[in-house]
Amino acid sequence: MRLSQEQIVASIAVLIFAAASFALPGFFTPENIVSIVRSISVLGILALGMAIVIIGRGIDLSAVAIMAMSVAWYLQLLNDGSSDGAALMLVLAGVLCIGLLNGFLVAYADVPAIFVTLASGSFVFGFVRSQLITQDAVPVPSGHWLQSLGGLRFLDIPVEVFIFAGLAFLVFLFLRYTKWGRYVYYAGDNPVAARNVGMPIRPMLVLRYVISAVISLMAGLLTAASLHSINTRVVNSTLLYDIVLVAVIGGIGLSGGKGGVRNVLYGAALIGIMLNAMTIIDIPLIYQNLIKSTILLAAIIIDGFLNPRDEQTAQQGDI
Amino acid sequence: MLVDATKETIIRLEGVTKAYRGVPAVKNVSFDLRRGEIHALLGENGAGKSTLTKIVAGVVEMTSGKMFHRGKEISYASPHAALNAGIAMVFQETSLVPSMTVAQNLYLGTEGFLNRLRGIYISAQQFLQSLNFPVDPTAMVETLGAAKRQMVEIARAVHHNAEIIIFDEPTATLTPEEKRHFFALIRRLKSQGVSIVFISHALEEALMLSDRITILRDGELVSSGETSSYDRNKIISAMVGRTLSGELYRQRDGTQLRKAGKKVLSVQDLSMSNVVRNNSFSIFQGQITGVFGLIGSGRTETFKVVSGIYKRDFKRGGTIELDDKPVRYAVPRDAVNDGIVYVTEDRKSEGFFETMSIAENLFSGLLAAGREKSSVISMSEMHQLSSEWTQKLNIKAINENARVVELSGGNQQKVVIGRGLVQKPRLVIFDEPTRGVDVGAIAEIHQIINELADQGLAVVVISSYLPEILNLSDRILVCRQGRIVEEFSPSESTEEKIMYAAVH
Repeated sequence: MRLSQEQIVASIAVLIFAAASFALPGFFTPENIVSIVRSISVLGILALGMAIVIIGRGIDLSAVAIMAMSVAWYLQLLNDGSSDGAALMLVLAGVLCIGLLNGFLVAYADVPAIFVTLASGSFVFGFVRSQLITQDAVPVPSGHWLQSLGGLRFLDIPVEVFIFAGLAFLVFLFLRYTKWGRYVYYAGDNPVAARNVGMPIRPMLVLRYVISAVISLMAGLLTAASLHSINTRVVNSTLLYDIVLVAVIGGIGLSGGKGGVRNVLYGAALIGIMLNAMTIIDIPLIYQNLIKSTILLAAIIIDGFLNPRDEQTAQQGDI
Repeated sequence: MLVDATKETIIRLEGVTKAYRGVPAVKNVSFDLRRGEIHALLGENGAGKSTLTKIVAGVVEMTSGKMFHRGKEISYASPHAALNAGIAMVFQETSLVPSMTVAQNLYLGTEGFLNRLRGIYISAQQFLQSLNFPVDPTAMVETLGAAKRQMVEIARAVHHNAEIIIFDEPTATLTPEEKRHFFALIRRLKSQGVSIVFISHALEEALMLSDRITILRDGELVSSGETSSYDRNKIISAMVGRTLSGELYRQRDGTQLRKAGKKVLSVQDLSMSNVVRNNSFSIFQGQITGVFGLIGSGRTETFKVVSGIYKRDFKRGGTIELDDKPVRYAVPRDAVNDGIVYVTEDRKSEGFFETMSIAENLFSGLLAAGREKSSVISMSEMHQLSSEWTQKLNIKAINENARVVELSGGNQQKVVIGRGLVQKPRLVIFDEPTRGVDVGAIAEIHQIINELADQGLAVVVISSYLPEILNLSDRILVCRQGRIVEEFSPSESTEEKIMYAAVH
């Protein structure tokens, strides 16, 4: 039997884990394992949102900008003395607007998702940075609930791990057991057929980008909770590519209609273990980026082989 | 019409067969083309005309047989090789690059290492003028209309000094004025010694223009000879005169026909760009309405508008009434919710979900429309639905988790049909329901269609295959040039009569 991509990824993750436990001192300790899981929580949450979009044959390049800038604005509002509820509502409204805009442009204006989200991400970053906040990093005001959330532990495991697990379960339920979740797969597999059979293709597209934006906001809040501030320079980091890496390497085909939450978990596990091991070995960051990009490229090429789009048989002319 | 017997044969095909996945599209055809003649190639949709010419032009490779070009046995591996040898093909859908200018398209593939745009514009201008084509060489191809695009295609063929030019349905998109120009050009090319193969559904044009005529039917050559020995009736009977009838395609007499029930759908003056033109007709409950038309007659487009897939013209688009209430669907979903289901002719690209199982494909019909009220998916409901319909439609697969793309054409078609029936339609439109389907499955699909009509549904069957139309329909509509032009009762009509109405 041929191995599926997720099986390959899972076995590679286990292999690296075993090799690192054996070879690297300080890898196989409870503290380090907790730190691995913690490090992939935010990445994994972002990848959940990305997965929903990619399964529907789209991509959301504005995820990181929405994550960092919405929370930066939120903290700025708090620091300027707004009430918590008002600030949160305002930021949530902004995030929903961006999600709706992304979805509307992709669904109704027929602009390719990659350009829409690239542009909206840049816009969000530029607008918030220049108009709404005063410096790159915005701290969480002291005594705010985000601070206490960041310190919360349960059985010595940081709270974001549970939040990641909870969200993963919710997304799993959505994709697997709701009508709207199934629509994502049908639309990703064959959008024309899905439209013809009567699915609401365009409203669905909008919904996916809105979900992705809201998940990004949650990931941002968790980041602020654990770091006690948010640094907007993360928008220009490689985080975005790490998210796509997690989704694609886990086996969510860029051609749409394939994969699920399990693939995100496998991808996140592999990337988390790898990054942690590279940090322990002390590979410089630039080489880490090189290794990651090589893996992403390889994953996309393998994805192309495993999930080919069959154009040949689609062409049935007059014979 | 004078043909010089001494004229040399330039292309000769001997016993050419081409099979797609074992199904022959062209069977053992021998054909020859002489220098400086216009040779019309006629036949129904799917008779093998396009395939035969594509073999000559190197677009498809023959399965067996021989081809001689100027007496030498040869087989062109690519259209490019054929073009270099002097064989050009002008396709139905033009093969120009839309984002390039006319001049760039003309010289595509023959550019030098460095191109001076001004230089090629000037020479293109001169060249187009010498052909008497009023086309601006600096215009982008995407801004041109169908007729001008065709002129560019022809100019490109002439520019390559082609000695053989194959035209696939060249006049389908042209206006009468443009047609006259086109015919004049063809005659001029002929006088220059160019041999022309001309595929057409327009018999008058073939009779008027050609020197010789070859007629194909079901992939076989049935008749070939000097044009002067043919007339319209002789061509039509050669095109349709089948020996095959048997169990599958039996003509029915008047007593077996179903009576029309209540009028479900009434369409008046429906128009969509220039594909559907002022089309009017009605569809009734409890019977099968067969719709026959040749390719380009607008039959598929008409029913795609009815089922909400395409939108009719906003202004002067006509009216569609369902149960005497006017409707205008923006998306297929609205049509599906009103009980109109369209079963596509192209199941691969707009029918099924290829990575998914039979069960998921069938279930999508239920999920999609407003029939499934609950937002939560019940897996047991899906499996129950799947086993019910795989049994009902006799869908054969290893198990219900088999991916649809792995099934045979007949089973794929049954999945697509089943998915439509799950939606409990009142009006089902089958577009080419048995295309690419094996004989056993054809009988089963016909039975399904008949049962639906017996249950009182309004059923429409669009088909290019006359025996299928005659066998299934209780009423036959013939579509030509974007509108229904004639209505027949199957007990009183023959293949010849229907074909006569469909060609022009």
